[in-house]
Amino acid sequence: MGSGLEEGFEMLTAGLGGRPVREPLELSEDARLVGAARDGDRAAFGRLYDRYARMVHGILLAKAPIAAVDDLVQDVFVLALRRLSTLREVGSFGAWLAAIARNLARDHYRRSAPEEQLTVDVPQEEIELRASRGDQDASANLVLDAIKSLPDAYREPLILRLVEGLTGPEIARRTGLTPGSVRVNLHRGMQQLRAMLSPGPGSPGQEGAES
Amino acid sequence: MNAGNDEPKKEVHAMGNDYLWDRSGEPDPEIQRLEALLGRFQLNRPRPAFTEIAPARGWWFIPRRMQWLIALAAVAAVAAVCVLTVLVYERKPGRDTSAGWDVSAMEGTPRLGWRAVSEKGGKSRLGVGQTLETGPQARARLRDDEIGQIEVDPGTRLRLLNMGSGSKRIALDRGTIHTFIWAPPGQFVVDTPSAMAVDLGCAYTLHVDDTGAGLVRTSLGWVGFKLRGRESFIPAGAACLTRPNIGPGTPYFEDASSEFRSALMRFDFEDTAPEQRVADLGTVLAQSRPRDALTLWHLLSRVDGPQRAQVYTSLVKFVPLPSSVSETGILRLDQPMLDQWWNALGFDDIAVWRYWERSWSSAAPQANAK
Repeated sequence: MGSGLEEGFEMLTAGLGGRPVREPLELSEDARLVGAARDGDRAAFGRLYDRYARMVHGILLAKAPIAAVDDLVQDVFVLALRRLSTLREVGSFGAWLAAIARNLARDHYRRSAPEEQLTVDVPQEEIELRASRGDQDASANLVLDAIKSLPDAYREPLILRLVEGLTGPEIARRTGLTPGSVRVNLHRGMQQLRAMLSPGPGSPGQEGAES
Repeated sequence: MNAGNDEPKKEVHAMGNDYLWDRSGEPDPEIQRLEALLGRFQLNRPRPAFTEIAPARGWWFIPRRMQWLIALAAVAAVAAVCVLTVLVYERKPGRDTSAGWDVSAMEGTPRLGWRAVSEKGGKSRLGVGQTLETGPQARARLRDDEIGQIEVDPGTRLRLLNMGSGSKRIALDRGTIHTFIWAPPGQFVVDTPSAMAVDLGCAYTLHVDDTGAGLVRTSLGWVGFKLRGRESFIPAGAACLTRPNIGPGTPYFEDASSEFRSALMRFDFEDTAPEQRVADLGTVLAQSRPRDALTLWHLLSRVDGPQRAQVYTSLVKFVPLPSSVSETGILRLDQPMLDQWWNALGFDDIAVWRYWERSWSSAAPQANAK
């Protein structure tokens, strides 16, 4: 990880206040766990890991190669534990952690060798054919590639929803984004994914993401 | 992300797909199938042993009782400062709380319009249409919790053009700013007299001299530099010059040789004889290293005929063409193919730029606007 990124966290942490959608109970539980973790309670940090690991995994999966994601999840939490002292608004832990994950994924992308162009047109018939042959892994990879070829604003919520199993309201609460934008991006992303999985006349073009 | 305008709200209300949103309503078989198919990618590793990792020490290593005393003292100090502030500001006109950046003096006395911002005077506000000038001795800091932070060096003049929900623009007329932006890529734009700098998730320094020429140096993420049809992408570690009426030059890594950089600068901006241009391009190609693929990719669309073929031959040695890209496509400057080759260079995904470029197209560059 570059030193520029490290410096960036100082400023990032100062800028994450004021995001909406945290429910008071969850917020206070996060705040309690962050406070305890700062006091050296590793079980509390473990609880934070349990609460946020799926979110971090999903964000990384949206941006980094699958093979690197599990290691990057661990890197994100190790970095977060080391930098917990710089988190000024404990209620923004999720948004702060999401920012760390996005930065680490971007950093990893810059450092690693370029990948092949993602497959974007994945006919439904091909997926079903592979699935019927028992080649579930291959068809799952094709669908994941299709999601990863969508604009940034769509791929993250779609992966959190379809891979990690979080609901829309959970995605908004965990990441600190507004439910409105998560819902719009889930919907638009799903529309584009459906069009990609069964291309044909009338397929929608690129719509604007709600960022 | 935000749901600030009316269109997305209408769209949300129009959505009947509650299963996608929160699994309520009638299950959608296709979504269920995708959930079952993609579930295999979930995190499959036990929780790490955090007990072996030491956190950075903050001030909470102080015993709790002591922390309370310090906190009480801090509260008392803050209360005293508040009382003093109220007393001082009761005698001054009210502060502008409309959209804008918080401004604080880091050194000397910057001026916000006709008003001085002193180091002891707390924060002021740079509103839309207002100008900040630092003069020869002063430095200032601009900050907005949703956008980022800008440090302004001495001798700088900048204006706030826009603080809309999807676009935050300032104009840098002259001087130097150091930015660290956390707004989504594409939202923060700096107009200079010779190009528009678009933040693509990064930290960078931007300098504009008295002739309107500019220089951007990126330290984190990447920046897009654009004037009319001419555009440059500057990743971390790279720099790019701009000149009035020409626009952005060809970006280069700052550790390139001085011969490489001099030849590139002449090639980009000087009106030299054709033989000199050939010689300069030859120097750039001969001194290129694999990481200078950045420069070569940009040169492809800035040269013609045999020179483009020369650049192609050098670049393809460093970065092979992706399977879906052809030499003829590159030589005729097919945009999707150029974009795919860019993505193969290992910098950030150019789709981010193309996506946001569409959203700026409605707002013309403000270059040269005063």
